[in-house]
Amino acid sequence: MSEPIVSVRDVGWRAGAVTVLERVGFDVAPGEFVAMMGRNGTGKSTLLDIIGGLRTPTAGVVALDGRPLQEWTSADRARVVAHLPQTLRADLTMRAEALVLMGRYAHASQWFESADDREIAHAAMRRCDCFQYRDRALGTLSGGERQRVLLAACLAQRPRVLLLDEPTTFLDVDQQLHCFTVLRDEAKQGTACLAVTHDMNLALTFCTRLLVLAEHSLAHDVRADAALAEPAWLRVFSDRLRVDRGANAAAWVRYQ
Amino acid sequence: MIGSAHRPFAVWLGGSAALFVTAAIVLPFIGPSRIDLAGVWHGQEPDWSILTRLRVSRTLLGLCAGGALALAGSLFQSMLRDALATPYTLGVSTGASLGAVLAIAAGLHTTMGVTGVWAGALAGAALVLLLVMGAARKDRQVSVSGLLLAGIAINSVCGALILLVHGLTGVSQSFAISRWLIGSLDAIEFPTLTAYMALVAAVSVITIRRARQWNLLAVGEAWAATRGAPVTQSLVAGYVAGSLLAATTVALAGPIGFVGLVVPHLLRARVGGDDRLVMPCAFLVGGVLLASCDALGRVLLAPAEVPAGAITAFIGAPHLIWVVRKGTTR
Repeated sequence: MSEPIVSVRDVGWRAGAVTVLERVGFDVAPGEFVAMMGRNGTGKSTLLDIIGGLRTPTAGVVALDGRPLQEWTSADRARVVAHLPQTLRADLTMRAEALVLMGRYAHASQWFESADDREIAHAAMRRCDCFQYRDRALGTLSGGERQRVLLAACLAQRPRVLLLDEPTTFLDVDQQLHCFTVLRDEAKQGTACLAVTHDMNLALTFCTRLLVLAEHSLAHDVRADAALAEPAWLRVFSDRLRVDRGANAAAWVRYQ
Repeated sequence: MIGSAHRPFAVWLGGSAALFVTAAIVLPFIGPSRIDLAGVWHGQEPDWSILTRLRVSRTLLGLCAGGALALAGSLFQSMLRDALATPYTLGVSTGASLGAVLAIAAGLHTTMGVTGVWAGALAGAALVLLLVMGAARKDRQVSVSGLLLAGIAINSVCGALILLVHGLTGVSQSFAISRWLIGSLDAIEFPTLTAYMALVAAVSVITIRRARQWNLLAVGEAWAATRGAPVTQSLVAGYVAGSLLAATTVALAGPIGFVGLVVPHLLRARVGGDDRLVMPCAFLVGGVLLASCDALGRVLLAPAEVPAGAITAFIGAPHLIWVVRKGTTR
């Protein structure tokens, strides 16, 4: 396995008396597509925020390229890590293209983005199937359309680490599949992708690895192709789930 | 060279700048006493003095004050993600008003070329700036919610104190205070005007140069941070810059309302949400609006004068209702 690009060491996060995360540790290498899973309130988003530099952990260290996160300036960090937020205010008047161009902030030093920046932004929008909305005001887009624009903004950042907090929220089924296909392609080109998701079958079909959080900590760390052989991770979620062999030999979770 | 993507920028900026220059040339000639051009040309009194000492100074103050307020308004609207934010939202200008009102109530007069009202206003603004900054900081970080909470709390304290001082003073001071609180433009000495204009120009340039950061913050703090903007540093810079613009303007012209609210809204509806364009245009258009309102106030009920602050309120309040009804937010 190649050198990890993200390493999480003994990370804890507490807010007052409430412990959210305790001694979480794992590495992510370039090219991995990791599904971050767990029940509500297990700290998935918090962990993603910590890796993205949005929160400072109350214990432990996160390192990027072997260098602790607090030594990075926000601009340096943004050239390596992109973060897709769970929600964004819905009333923005700016055009969709302008939001995607914001992904170029850390790369473009000039007042205006260059023709190259524009080219990169347009390519990202085409990949996320939202180029047709480029001149629409964000506030006029539907939730799913806006979500695609957000993903395009993250891709326009040309990150080596992609953190996604429920990237398929608001997406129809076809767009969910498209989104995870794009992410899998990104991972194949060497980007480390970490996506918080509740959809186990999307995770089992597209991801290479599942991280399951439970009781403030990392409960299971399984490769996607071993998920059928070691189904213990499934019991974290519900007793009403069974795992079978799906169409293309990948594991498939059924409801009961 | 201007690429096609930047053409709207050139058109809007050029148009606003042309309007600004035209206003600067035309507005000094508007007023209750007609100015004879030939008289001015030959330096004849009183035309020459009315034009240069009174009208030009007042027009320049109006252009600069309106620009400063509109820019500070668009800055706070983006930074605080609040459609109804104004230069007065975060309390510093109310602090300036309180200082000025205290100075009027105490009957402070000009000492060493500085009038008591200006000194009081600037002292009040500085005090509130430090208080809000101190209250908004948490774990060496500043957040929008922290700034808003501290700013609005101290704003309402200052507002209450103004009412209290107002109620406790004698009749003549009370009248002067009410008059001052409407906000109006008066001719001021050129050294003061020059210092004010230099400060506003410098702060405006610094503010507009950071427009990409305000664009990011308008989407959200987490969004800005993960695109690479230094959020705490930007918020502190924006707060200090907006406060400098608003407080110095309040010190010279009183708390003129609505320019800072209406102009950015008008522009966003037309040019879109990019602060790289909204901010310079807001400065230019805001200046034209205030200077024009002031010129209108000179002739509307001549020989009496309607304060510019009253006219901006008459224009601004209906616009505000229209904005809210139309559901244009940000």
